[in-house]
Amino acid sequence: MADSKKALASTPSWVAQLESPLQAKAKPSSIPDPPGFSGGSGNKKGGKDAKDKPRKQPTDEEMDTLKLKKAWEVALAPIKALPMTAIMMYMSGNSLQIFSIMMVFMAFKNPLMGLVNTNQAFERFQNESISGQMIQVKLVYVACQLVALAVGVWKINAMGLLPTTTSDWLMWEAQRNSIDFAATAL
Amino acid sequence: MRRAFSSILLLGLSSFATAVFQDEVDDIDFHHSLFGVPQAETTFFHRPRKDDKASLLYTLGDVGVFGAVNPSNGEIVWRHQISTDTTIGGGHFRAPEDEDWVAAAHGSTIQAWNALTGRNSWHANFAGEVKDLEILEVTETGRKDVLALSDEDGVTVLRRLHGKLGTVVWEFREQNKDIPLQVSTNIANIYVISLHGSPSSYSLKITSLDTLTGSRVNDWTVGTKGEVHGPQDVMFVGANSAAPLLAWTDSSLSKLSVHVLGTKGKQEIALGAETTGVVIHAPHLTQSLPHFLVHTKTATGGKGEVYHTNLKNGQISRAYELPHLKGENAFSTSSEGANVYFTRITEDEILITSSESPAVLQRWPLAASSHIKPRHAVSEVIKKPGGEEFAIRSAVTTVSDDWTLVRNGNIDWSRPEGLSGSVGAVWAELPETESLAKALEEEAHTNPLDAYIHRVNRHINDLKYLPAWIQSIPTRLIDSLSGETHRDTSLHRDSFGFNKVIVLATRRGRVYGLSTANAGKVIWSANVFPQPEGQSFELKGLVAKGGESSVVTLQGSKGEVADINAITGEVLRVVTSGSSIESTATIQGENGVWLLALDPSGKPVGEFPNGVVPKETIVVRGEGEVIKGVRFDAGEDGAAAQQTEVWQLQLLPGQRVVEVAVRPSHDPVASIGRVLGDRNVNYKYLNTNTIVVAVLSDDDSVLSIRLVDTVSGQILASQSYDGVDGSKDVSCAISENWYTCSFFGQYLLNDGSGQTIKGYQIISTDLYESSAPNDRGPLGDSANFSSLNPVDSPTQAPLPFVVSQGFVAIQPLTSLSVTQTRQGITGRQVLAYMPESHAVVGIPRQALDPRRPVGRDPTAAEMEAEGLMKYWPSLEIDPRSIVSHERDVIGINNIVAAPAIVESTTLVVAYGVDVFGTRVAPSGVFDILGKGFNKFTLILTVLALFGGVIFLSPMVRRSQINKLWGE
Repeated sequence: MADSKKALASTPSWVAQLESPLQAKAKPSSIPDPPGFSGGSGNKKGGKDAKDKPRKQPTDEEMDTLKLKKAWEVALAPIKALPMTAIMMYMSGNSLQIFSIMMVFMAFKNPLMGLVNTNQAFERFQNESISGQMIQVKLVYVACQLVALAVGVWKINAMGLLPTTTSDWLMWEAQRNSIDFAATAL
Repeated sequence: MRRAFSSILLLGLSSFATAVFQDEVDDIDFHHSLFGVPQAETTFFHRPRKDDKASLLYTLGDVGVFGAVNPSNGEIVWRHQISTDTTIGGGHFRAPEDEDWVAAAHGSTIQAWNALTGRNSWHANFAGEVKDLEILEVTETGRKDVLALSDEDGVTVLRRLHGKLGTVVWEFREQNKDIPLQVSTNIANIYVISLHGSPSSYSLKITSLDTLTGSRVNDWTVGTKGEVHGPQDVMFVGANSAAPLLAWTDSSLSKLSVHVLGTKGKQEIALGAETTGVVIHAPHLTQSLPHFLVHTKTATGGKGEVYHTNLKNGQISRAYELPHLKGENAFSTSSEGANVYFTRITEDEILITSSESPAVLQRWPLAASSHIKPRHAVSEVIKKPGGEEFAIRSAVTTVSDDWTLVRNGNIDWSRPEGLSGSVGAVWAELPETESLAKALEEEAHTNPLDAYIHRVNRHINDLKYLPAWIQSIPTRLIDSLSGETHRDTSLHRDSFGFNKVIVLATRRGRVYGLSTANAGKVIWSANVFPQPEGQSFELKGLVAKGGESSVVTLQGSKGEVADINAITGEVLRVVTSGSSIESTATIQGENGVWLLALDPSGKPVGEFPNGVVPKETIVVRGEGEVIKGVRFDAGEDGAAAQQTEVWQLQLLPGQRVVEVAVRPSHDPVASIGRVLGDRNVNYKYLNTNTIVVAVLSDDDSVLSIRLVDTVSGQILASQSYDGVDGSKDVSCAISENWYTCSFFGQYLLNDGSGQTIKGYQIISTDLYESSAPNDRGPLGDSANFSSLNPVDSPTQAPLPFVVSQGFVAIQPLTSLSVTQTRQGITGRQVLAYMPESHAVVGIPRQALDPRRPVGRDPTAAEMEAEGLMKYWPSLEIDPRSIVSHERDVIGINNIVAAPAIVESTTLVVAYGVDVFGTRVAPSGVFDILGKGFNKFTLILTVLALFGGVIFLSPMVRRSQINKLWGE
């Protein structure tokens, strides 16, 4: 007994705290509950009703439909975010600033990451029975990401970062040399 | 990509006007403000204030600049040009005793200036050339007046001008064919001396005039027995003294004839057998004793003889003789009250004697290191109060064209006046630190592996310098922090390429080397082409060989050729062939560049080096107003090279070539196109074989500016300007794909009002391959072209598309030149001299851009991409763009630019009368840390940050652990 007491005494405080966590703080009795609020214990009736009814398991077909529906949502998510992105890009201007640079970076990073992770994005919806439809969804998803990417490309073009004009290739053009030589004695 | 590019452009624009900061003055620039070599008769000491003993030193140099110098430190008090152009000797400059003004005359103008401030008090202009100017010291009013003798087409005119106002008091005219020579006064009369008779037997005619009315009192002639053949043969001294003299020698220099004005007849003095020249020195004051000194020069030295004039009967008698001394001798006269002192300056001592006795009053030895070889001198002798001691200061003009002040035997200062009147300058590279240059050369000529081993060995060898280098770190660090710059004045290349040698040739045939490493100081000078009296050296070609040799070649018009080492000033070769040289061409040969000399008929003079015939087409001026292109073809089997005329630019009668602008030798092009605001490209027309020829037709005053292809002779572009004044300077410059010209003209407004605007105009022209953007013109992408080859497209000759624009400048811009940088990336400036402001200006090329939009504001894209500003007809010269800032730079004839190693900077030297050198950074010094960069703050910031990290890191670590552990 003395040993265990000693051992108890020698246990670090954190062991003691771990072993016997503090009781949840008792509600200060001086503050009354707001009207209509019934404490944690008083709300058990409703829960009881829900618990009583056993949840009906969805059928496989229902699951597939649900999965497909969710998959479509995921597939179309990039295009839904597009108007927002486009407006922000338009607003941020074509100058080289930290905001526009970050926006452009995100505009490229998100679609590219999305494309790389196409399979992962739809992994949880994968099912043998809907694999045919999933390909369609994935194609739409890829198309949406490409559209998002196109917005990014449009942006950097607007910023003048795409080498699309003659002036961008000027430095690779060589000066035309004269094969004749002349010297002046005037 | 383009944004990054244009932001660089914007960076250039932001420093659009780069002013010279105060702490850069004398650091980046230097200025030799000069008078020209002082002339003996127009140099004097003068007290500008009557009640002040201090005197200033006045001179009129042989390039026509006169003014005052502070004799104690050699600094200029004031300075003016006597005529708008550089003169070759001549001019008159006199100061009245005890008055605060000085009088100067040249050509037909007579001016009076305040002696202390250099402000103009009056000026008068008369018909005819002023032959002599004298001060009338004693007048009826107590005022001092000016006497001006002029020659108005054979009419001798003497005017007495009011000393304070410049108005004519009286005028004496004499209608005869005599040549007026001199005017002189003594207390009683004014004497006009003229040459009478025919050139074979001139006699001297002396007319004495009444001081008060200018009416003739008497005249007489003195026969010279044919010894005087022109005005230059008559010596005349002691203008205002009690007994003014006339003297002349016979042609064999065996006797000197002296005539004392106011007496009849002449007296003869026998000269020694070895005499080579005679100079007479006499006081200029009426109260001085009538004594004079005859300085007889011989080939080895000279001697002096002092004579006294008897005022009663005009007889001269020899008083004593100063012995013959070897080496250069100069005598000067100074008077104090009635006493006259003769100062003798030799190469090793200065001694003064009184005119009364031959006893040497005082002598001062000259240090042997001073190397003074006096040519002539003026002296001021002061007897110290209460003793026999004297103080002397002499302004000595030396044989090496320096102007040196010697005070009591010590040299106070020396001014390199021989630098004035420069006719050509070239930038010469300094050698690299020798060992490194040699090692690098060695490595370049071996195979890569050997080169690599050699390099590794070299670096291991270099390790032995490491300890010394490490030891030098603290001192260098401290110097760097304290902002102290130890100017490396050694003649070695610096890492920025700012240290170079300017080799300058003057019209006196003397060549100078100035080093920019030590603020433009003269590091050597050599009299390479000694010129006889009255002749000027005409420079036809001056080129630096380049490479490692630092040899400069000069070519004169009389066939003189010299090679000079630009670093040491050693003259490696002087050859005078005697054949007349009309022009020279700089030819790129196997061993660097060389000068091809051509005679007036366009034929080469001398042999080609190594017998290699130059492959270049040489552009020469033909007889009359013709410009032609000439080629040389090697003759068969050692026969002489055949000369073929390829083309000719013949002008119409009445037309003349007023200016030809040639591309600078170093003119790299960084970008072959010009990026427009809409990201399109206008391709530049880059034909290096082009020159700009400005042709003026005098009949209708039309200036035609033509761009001529030097290979084919084709006129590629031409513009005409009406109402151009041919008597004023026309100046052009060409670089890259543009050229610019300045002239005085009148411009007819095209608004129908018929109004004309007169003014100095500067026109600027751009050349492009094609009018359409992104089009390389008929030649397309071909890698090379020949102006002689036909073009496939029959309708289109490869002519440039020309954009031209004119601007009105508020004052003349002359000696146009373009800045040069190492790679041509930096923007360019047009350098010009403004003769009316005495300033050198660098006008940014953007200001002269012919693409500046007219009548509308430029778009943001245009502004960003091309730096365009709205066109405005008047070209405002920003005071910040004046590279000579507040310096008074006189008489610039030419501006020569050279690139430094750093891309941002151009080295510039402007020469003529003055020599001014500076560094120009057209787009700002973007590649050098400026003096304003605070290294101390930077290091302090880094240290503070480091300290903060050291101090904070344990605290942060502790708090992080605490956080993990809970409290």
